[in-house]
Amino acid sequence: MVISFKDGLKLFGIIIVVFCAVFVCTFFLNFYLDAIAIKDTVLPEQQVLYDAQLATAKVVCAISGGFLALIAIVMTIFYIKLYVDGHMRQLGILKAMGWSNKKIALRFWVFGLSVFIGAALGFGAGYIAMPFVYDGLTIETLSVEIHFHATLLIFLVAVPTVLYSLLSCGYAFLALRRPVTDMLKGRTKNKKRKEKPAKAGKERSFLVEMGVKTVGGKKLLAFFVAFACFCFSAMVQMGASMKQLSTDTMGLMILIIGIVLAVTTMFMAVTSLIRSNLKNVSMMKVFGYSMKECALSVFGGYVPIAFLGFALGTVYQYGLLRLMVDIVFKEVGTMPDYSFNVPVFFITLACFVVLYGALMTAYAFKLNKVSVKEVMLEN
Amino acid sequence: MIKADNIVKTYNGGTVEVLKGVSLEINDGEKVVILGASGSGKSTLLSVLSGLERADGGKALYNEKDLSSMTEKQLTEFRRNTVGFIFQQYYLLPHLSVQNNVKMGADLIGNKDYVEIIKAVGLENKLKNKPSELSGGEQQRVCIARALAKKPKVLFLDEPTGALDEKTGREVLDYIIEMQKTSGFTMVMVTHNLNIAETADTVIKMNSGVITEIYRNKTPKTAYEIGW
Repeated sequence: MVISFKDGLKLFGIIIVVFCAVFVCTFFLNFYLDAIAIKDTVLPEQQVLYDAQLATAKVVCAISGGFLALIAIVMTIFYIKLYVDGHMRQLGILKAMGWSNKKIALRFWVFGLSVFIGAALGFGAGYIAMPFVYDGLTIETLSVEIHFHATLLIFLVAVPTVLYSLLSCGYAFLALRRPVTDMLKGRTKNKKRKEKPAKAGKERSFLVEMGVKTVGGKKLLAFFVAFACFCFSAMVQMGASMKQLSTDTMGLMILIIGIVLAVTTMFMAVTSLIRSNLKNVSMMKVFGYSMKECALSVFGGYVPIAFLGFALGTVYQYGLLRLMVDIVFKEVGTMPDYSFNVPVFFITLACFVVLYGALMTAYAFKLNKVSVKEVMLEN
Repeated sequence: MIKADNIVKTYNGGTVEVLKGVSLEINDGEKVVILGASGSGKSTLLSVLSGLERADGGKALYNEKDLSSMTEKQLTEFRRNTVGFIFQQYYLLPHLSVQNNVKMGADLIGNKDYVEIIKAVGLENKLKNKPSELSGGEQQRVCIARALAKKPKVLFLDEPTGALDEKTGREVLDYIIEMQKTSGFTMVMVTHNLNIAETADTVIKMNSGVITEIYRNKTPKTAYEIGW
């Protein structure tokens, strides 16, 4: 069978994202549930701080957990799409042999395995880190003890595994709905749209055309690149800015998670970018285009998209934290001071430029070493 | 002139020897067919002679320059200025139109008359179509136009009619032979089809990584005169 356990386990990116999401949510939700349990013992002079800590736990959970769950969904869909596109012929053969879309799609449940692994590890790690987090969150003279909540295990491990498996099967079912002959011949589902004739004297060179059409022809990939840069920008800036709204430990934790996540997402986006353009680049090399020309024409088109993603991430994180300060903390009466962090913005931007450039350069070198014949024989 | 001097090519860390000391000479403007069964090493020889792969032993020379000792940059220059390729599997860029696929070759040498070549292969009405909207024969004709648009001195063809039916195969072969007559480039074609070998000036037969026979056709046939 084309879809194996190995395929499900290959999704390291999803494992890492889910790990981070569940890790954060486990101790914050656990703290929230434990804190709620001692609600009646809170003294009036502790009430404001108590409410603030509850609000922080709730908001961090919603922001981090929700955001990370969204990333995992996008990644899962993206990987299934890549998987279906990359295994179009094999899946077409199965269909030609009489397998129904439903029967093939059901095999995609294995993609939920990565979610299970990430969630289980995150849940375990969350419990290990819990004493330190409780120390940071607990208010003086008000002791919150750690208790195990089985419901959290169900909602943070079992439910996401089932949901993501269903999502994988459902999306695969939709992705498989195309004619068998198209799949066997590797035809994509692109709309048959003829190119507009170029205006007189305004004909673009091949390299420019290649750049424009590569980005336009792989919209999902373009979205993923933008999304990766969005994550990098939002998570890193949010992590750094959280220090203004929460304890230093909490801010540092979000920052580290943000960096890990952002680098993972960026790595996955660039890897996919290279992988999906490998054949085109090889063909260009065969014809005598230099590596520099290949890299600029194929990958250069994604640079504006990457920066757009970064800009949107900046706006998003500022808007979200502003909202959190204006709405959530307003309820507890202690409004923390929060403003757009300009130095953090510029440091993040510099890191982003260096990281993106380094990844692209590293892959350009890697690509240069790929044997043209090897790539072509893959067909 | 293309010259192979005792070429050895191995894979899997030297355990599989695909070319076992191949030597040959191909003159400028010559039409050569390398004939052999699957696994005989003919496609590997084509890759080495065209600079796609480096030989592990011996020398592959073009005008006395050794391809094996060239740097990556020099090899790129060699491919850019000297050779053209036509493959069995076409390898067209799927997201680009016929026009832009051909422009891929034309732009390398600043050839502005590439549309004439597209017309010559009979695809002037499909300029804006994507490869997926073309038949196999049409796609192979785009490959021919793409290769010829860069005005190569040597054209390497790897089973160019292998994926085509008889009628389309003959048409494609006829285009190639006619273009070779007009442009005078050297043509090195790999095939397993004995009949196609009758169209060549020189036939090089290969078996298990060695050349078993080299002979010349006194009167090469056209694509429509051979059996299939």
